[in-house]
Amino acid sequence: MNYSDDDKALIMLSYESSYPRKRDALDSADSPKELYRDYSHADVTIEEMNRKGIVAITLNSKYYPSCLKNIYDPPQVLYCKGDVSLLSDTVKRLAIVGTRRITRYGKDVTREFARAFSDAGCCVVSGMARGVDSEAHKTVLAENGKTIAVLGSGTDVIYPPENAELYEEIASKGLIVSEYPPGTPPHAFRFPERNRIISGLSEGVLVTEAGAGSGSMITADLAIEQGKDLYVVPGNIFSQASKGCNDKIKELQAAAVTCPEDIIKVGKAHGDRENLAVQLTLEQARIISFLEDCESMHFSELLAKSGLGVNELTALLSEMEIYGFINKLSGNYYAIAQKL
Amino acid sequence: MLAKVISYALSGLDGFDVAVEVDVNAGLPAYEVVGLADTAVKESRERVRAAIKNSLFDYPIKKITVNLAPADSKKEGSLYDLPIAVGVLAATEQIPAHSYKPFVIVGELSLDGGLRHIKGLMPILLSAMQNGYTKFIVPEENAKEASYISGIDVYAFSKLKEVVEFLSGEKEVMPVPTRTFSAQQAENKYNVDFSEVKGQQFARRAMEIAVAGGHNILMIGPPGAGKTLMAKCVPTIMPDMTFEEAVEVTKIHSVAGILDAGKGIVTARPFRTPHHTVTVPALMGGGAKAKPGEVSLAHNGVLFLDEMPEYQRQTLESLRQPLEDGTVTVSRAKQSLDYPAKFMLVASMNPCPCGNYGSKTQQCRCTAAEIRRYVSRLSGPLLDRIDLQVEVDGISYEELRFAPPSESSATIKERVEKARAVQRERYKGSGVHTNAQMTNAQMKKHCALSPECERILEAAFRKLNMTARASTRVLKVARTIADLDGSADIQSRHITEAVQYRSLDRKYWE
Repeated sequence: MNYSDDDKALIMLSYESSYPRKRDALDSADSPKELYRDYSHADVTIEEMNRKGIVAITLNSKYYPSCLKNIYDPPQVLYCKGDVSLLSDTVKRLAIVGTRRITRYGKDVTREFARAFSDAGCCVVSGMARGVDSEAHKTVLAENGKTIAVLGSGTDVIYPPENAELYEEIASKGLIVSEYPPGTPPHAFRFPERNRIISGLSEGVLVTEAGAGSGSMITADLAIEQGKDLYVVPGNIFSQASKGCNDKIKELQAAAVTCPEDIIKVGKAHGDRENLAVQLTLEQARIISFLEDCESMHFSELLAKSGLGVNELTALLSEMEIYGFINKLSGNYYAIAQKL
Repeated sequence: MLAKVISYALSGLDGFDVAVEVDVNAGLPAYEVVGLADTAVKESRERVRAAIKNSLFDYPIKKITVNLAPADSKKEGSLYDLPIAVGVLAATEQIPAHSYKPFVIVGELSLDGGLRHIKGLMPILLSAMQNGYTKFIVPEENAKEASYISGIDVYAFSKLKEVVEFLSGEKEVMPVPTRTFSAQQAENKYNVDFSEVKGQQFARRAMEIAVAGGHNILMIGPPGAGKTLMAKCVPTIMPDMTFEEAVEVTKIHSVAGILDAGKGIVTARPFRTPHHTVTVPALMGGGAKAKPGEVSLAHNGVLFLDEMPEYQRQTLESLRQPLEDGTVTVSRAKQSLDYPAKFMLVASMNPCPCGNYGSKTQQCRCTAAEIRRYVSRLSGPLLDRIDLQVEVDGISYEELRFAPPSESSATIKERVEKARAVQRERYKGSGVHTNAQMTNAQMKKHCALSPECERILEAAFRKLNMTARASTRVLKVARTIADLDGSADIQSRHITEAVQYRSLDRKYWE
């Protein structure tokens, strides 16, 4: 990729520590070249970026997504790694964000929506953080869908570290984006900043699970500011983990959604329970009927209701789990698999 | 005059005979002990003198030299008091010469001439027996310990005076009668029972399987779930110890000085719970005297590690060798000793540092990173040796109060013994006793799967994200479940059940 002098100036400026303060100057200057004159290092820097497979897309570039251009304070440079075509205006992008401390419910919800979005051909944008973000990326990748991760660190800095595998997978099958130059360490203040890019890139933002004061609430507020659609999934009113989402509904700031069809037209049907019921044995069907009445049921309760022996029930539940009818939760609780 | 009395010394669980040579000669009154004696032996001077005087014998006002041969190995403890006193009396012709020759004499003296209990009598008797000694003089307090060994004559006394009367032929004394060993004799040898464990059907089943197959087990559950109680109940469902096992345990406990003198032999399987601040030497054995550690004290019983991740990494890693070999080698500057350490490891841990992860009623306050760090304190190689990992439920008030009475230990034990019998038959003559010890070659033979079972095992691995090393564990546990079921082949229901006991493999804490 060839960079113009303006591009080079922007790239080099973004490396400087005084960069945030120079932004105002950039706005008033005719061209970035006025602020940056010494290009001796630029070639080395760009060489280094090429070596890492990182591409810089500046505000002036034709590849720069127009939806992002229209927000307040758009990033001057986007450092990208992966499939840059995902930034094209023809791609429908939806963001899924939420808490880092995900509950079982949040996991199920995130998977449900991420799978539906991906099946419908949408590109799922998120932040590769722990919890909901990771879950969303993973689900989409498992469905061979497209996904964009917007990082709060340099494009080549993996944070959180346990997502190293996920990072590689997104880089090869999707796209990693950051406004920070390669090598930038993850600092707390950068994450709220990066949230504006997540919502900026997307048509709408879905919050699957978020507590009050969660970072994803910042994304939600930014989505409203930027005039994007904000969707939240309601949660249990007693659950602290869903308080942020429920508050948004209460304040009438977001659309409450309970199924992917509320947001998009779902193309593929997601397996239906009627079909499966045929394959269940009598005992399995009984277990399902117990579980249907409640969120989850404890092993001892199932034992009492089913009247089976401990070993029989254990074997039966295990088999049903292996075939994907039910999930075993921590603490010996069982629940119907949301996939059904 | 010179007198030579035979006594005994221990090195680990084995011993060697010690000749206690006492020379009483003209010279300035003095008392000298040579032959690498420790302080307890050197201090015998005062006990011997007072005991002889208070038993109304004459203490010679001469130069007394005591030599403990062989002179180049260390002697320790107070068991040489009695042989030295007998030596002094013999050297001053208060006991007929040679009357004491056939006896191995051990015992501690008190100032009033009484005989006191010594440590390690059982291993001394067994080792001396192998070296051809058949007659022993021991303190009365140790008589019970000695009574379980047949083929030797043990004479027990409570006073120095009685020993002298016996040796001089003034008094006829019968050897201690031999008892027959019966592990069942003590009805209440454990003060817990599985019927006290309320609810927890899942964990109870896992415990039964673990004991039946000799598997190690890890319980994961919130504080107050009853993990410790269940661990304490494990010995109650283990098969009774055989005489050989009981003697092995008694030897170790005797050397460590924790043997209950009133019982004489250990009939209950040991249950050891070292605190999580335990050091490696305390766990493995060591110290200047290379004493047996907790793993050896738990030999033939249960080693319970409560809150396993709280133990120091180094301490946990040191467990790997005894778990693999069933023995532990304690090496010190002057000696290197082997102690047996064949135990069942029962461990417990919280699901996260605060203990509430996965709880329905309580909110967990731990961050994902904290939980990961907590769980990762248990290394893969160590977890590899723990076949069952089960979750224990937090118990509710209703369950505690109104749960129906559950099965007693005796009922479970019957099933366990049946399954063990099947295994004994299967592994006859191969040096392996339980499914947990199966070698790879034996696994190929005894854990062969039908195509249907293969399919379900593969499905389980894919679906539940299990790690590769879990496969041998699952198969071994499935083998035990099949044995409990009385089934010759492993069937699919055994495999599906076994899969449920591998909580940590499922990457729960992701």
